[in-house]
Amino acid sequence: MSVLKYVIRRSLYLIPVFFGITLLVFTIERLAGDPVQLYTALNPRVTEVQRQALRHFLGLDQPIPIQYLQWLAQLLTGNLGFSFTYGSVSTIISQELWATLELQLIGLALSLAIAIPIGVLSARKRYSLLDVTVTSSSLIGTSIPIFFLGVAFILIFGYNLHWFPSGGLQSITPDKYPYGSLFLDQLWHLTLPAAVYTFALLAPIVLLVRSSMLEVLRQDYILAARASGLRERTIIYKHGLRNALIPIVTYVGLYFGGLLAGAPVTETIFNWPGVGRQFVASTGNLDFPVIQAIVVIITLMTLVANIVTDVTYAYIDPRIRLE
Amino acid sequence: MTNLQPQQKTARSRGVSQWALAWRRLKTNKVAIAGLAVVGIFAVMAAFDRLVALYPPQCTVGLSPYCPGDGIARFDSPPSAIHPFGTDIFGYDVYSEIVYGTRAAFVIGLGATGLTILIAILIGLTAGYFGGWVDNVLMRLTEVFLVIPFFLLLLVFLQISIKFAGGATGGIWLVVFIIGAFSWPGAARIIRAETLRVREFEFVGASRQIGASSFRILFRHLFPNVLHIIIVLVTLQIAGSILTEAAVSFLGFGAPGSNTWGQQMFIESNYINQAWWGTLFPAIFVTIMVMGFNLLGNGLRDALDPRLRE
Repeated sequence: MSVLKYVIRRSLYLIPVFFGITLLVFTIERLAGDPVQLYTALNPRVTEVQRQALRHFLGLDQPIPIQYLQWLAQLLTGNLGFSFTYGSVSTIISQELWATLELQLIGLALSLAIAIPIGVLSARKRYSLLDVTVTSSSLIGTSIPIFFLGVAFILIFGYNLHWFPSGGLQSITPDKYPYGSLFLDQLWHLTLPAAVYTFALLAPIVLLVRSSMLEVLRQDYILAARASGLRERTIIYKHGLRNALIPIVTYVGLYFGGLLAGAPVTETIFNWPGVGRQFVASTGNLDFPVIQAIVVIITLMTLVANIVTDVTYAYIDPRIRLE
Repeated sequence: MTNLQPQQKTARSRGVSQWALAWRRLKTNKVAIAGLAVVGIFAVMAAFDRLVALYPPQCTVGLSPYCPGDGIARFDSPPSAIHPFGTDIFGYDVYSEIVYGTRAAFVIGLGATGLTILIAILIGLTAGYFGGWVDNVLMRLTEVFLVIPFFLLLLVFLQISIKFAGGATGGIWLVVFIIGAFSWPGAARIIRAETLRVREFEFVGASRQIGASSFRILFRHLFPNVLHIIIVLVTLQIAGSILTEAAVSFLGFGAPGSNTWGQQMFIESNYINQAWWGTLFPAIFVTIMVMGFNLLGNGLRDALDPRLRE
């Protein structure tokens, strides 16, 4: 089956999943509470008539199924609607999505670049001192909560050593830029949160690469490659690693699915203006349109990541057929 | 040699149970035993928290008649001999507060995992055993739950319950319920896969031949044979649930008034510049406990893997 046909078929099949999730989020939000009550509770001069007018303005006075259909119709034309508190949702989110992706992708790339050589080395020298050290520290690493890392990094490198700023995307005024360069300033702000993501991802990827490599190095074709006198480097990286990549691709695919699992926490700690922090803030304000939009975007990203993962399998391992 | 023959026979007929074999394998795994020891120590701490703690819960040492200490109230004081982990902004002893948080961690870990595993077993066993359209429907449902941005929904749920139910929330049990209700898809898939494997064994067919009901086959024959996977899933899920609750509470979405480690970190992190120990020590305890369950779970996986059975 051609890749295109496969992608189209999978996408069609994912449509009901997508609508199921939007419906779920929509209903949960609305069954649970009234934002108007939240916004006006502290002001005794707001009358019930005014509350009703506000509800009407925000579209909250309609029955829930009507609200859902209206929102869905807007969504299908690409309109994410207006936030209850501040401006157009797409304007708010598009910038934040970049901030989030920037951080996540840098963390992912760095951790892969560090974890793969370590994992491969650990598998090649199985049961050596290096392997035992790597494996046990990775096992500990998988148990460290990401927020603990974040707080510890800020305390050590931010407050105590003053090497890095403890939060934000960039300095408030240009005179704080190192060497007057905005780029360097942003890089300087990026370092700590990116390091937290890198560390958080490092441990599970190292363990995965190691176990997957061990499995592959036991195969006959590795023995055959050795017997035919190939260089060790070629054997390990060309014949070994390529075959060991499948579980790693799965993990990275799943990671994109769970992309925001760490984002609300890390972005809040580092005051990083991404969708994770926005989600926490919007949830606090019961800003329904923003909550829905973020859930929609994350769900879409997850679904796309699933399809890309499957296609990547077939590319890495020709024995896998797309069906 | 001829003497040995009958002895061997009796040994075999008495047999060593699979669980005894698994325990024997687990015992040789030092890392797993370390994990078990950590979990055990925490269990003792949770059961006898009043004895292990130095002061009563949420007691301003030195001011309250219940915890006179040496009569001097210390706020934000660094770790010292009388306060091993220091005191926080309220003058509470950080070490004692952590000890009282242990029980909450177990409630969260065990409660959420219990619910998750119950759902996962029902769905996984049913889908794996019946196959066909039942399997299809249940697995599509599982996929929906797998794609749901669980952590985001968790925040929405909790926020709503805090804002609107006020003091009438189910407190920590609500957190437990929500984590449990959404964490099952991964486990359900694994149990289904294992059920598919066990279903093909001859004893299942034989049982059906002599007229056993589906219910009996499911719970008398299939369930005991997938139990080894369930035990591993339970251990790892406990660790996961504790981590999730800690993250949620740390963001300020935890059950108000509950004394969990995440809640302690959430409150103390506001004063992290004055008193870092209030945030650091609960975080260390979360890490150690999660690590204990993770190490134990990994060890159990090795010990219970049927491919390694003797």
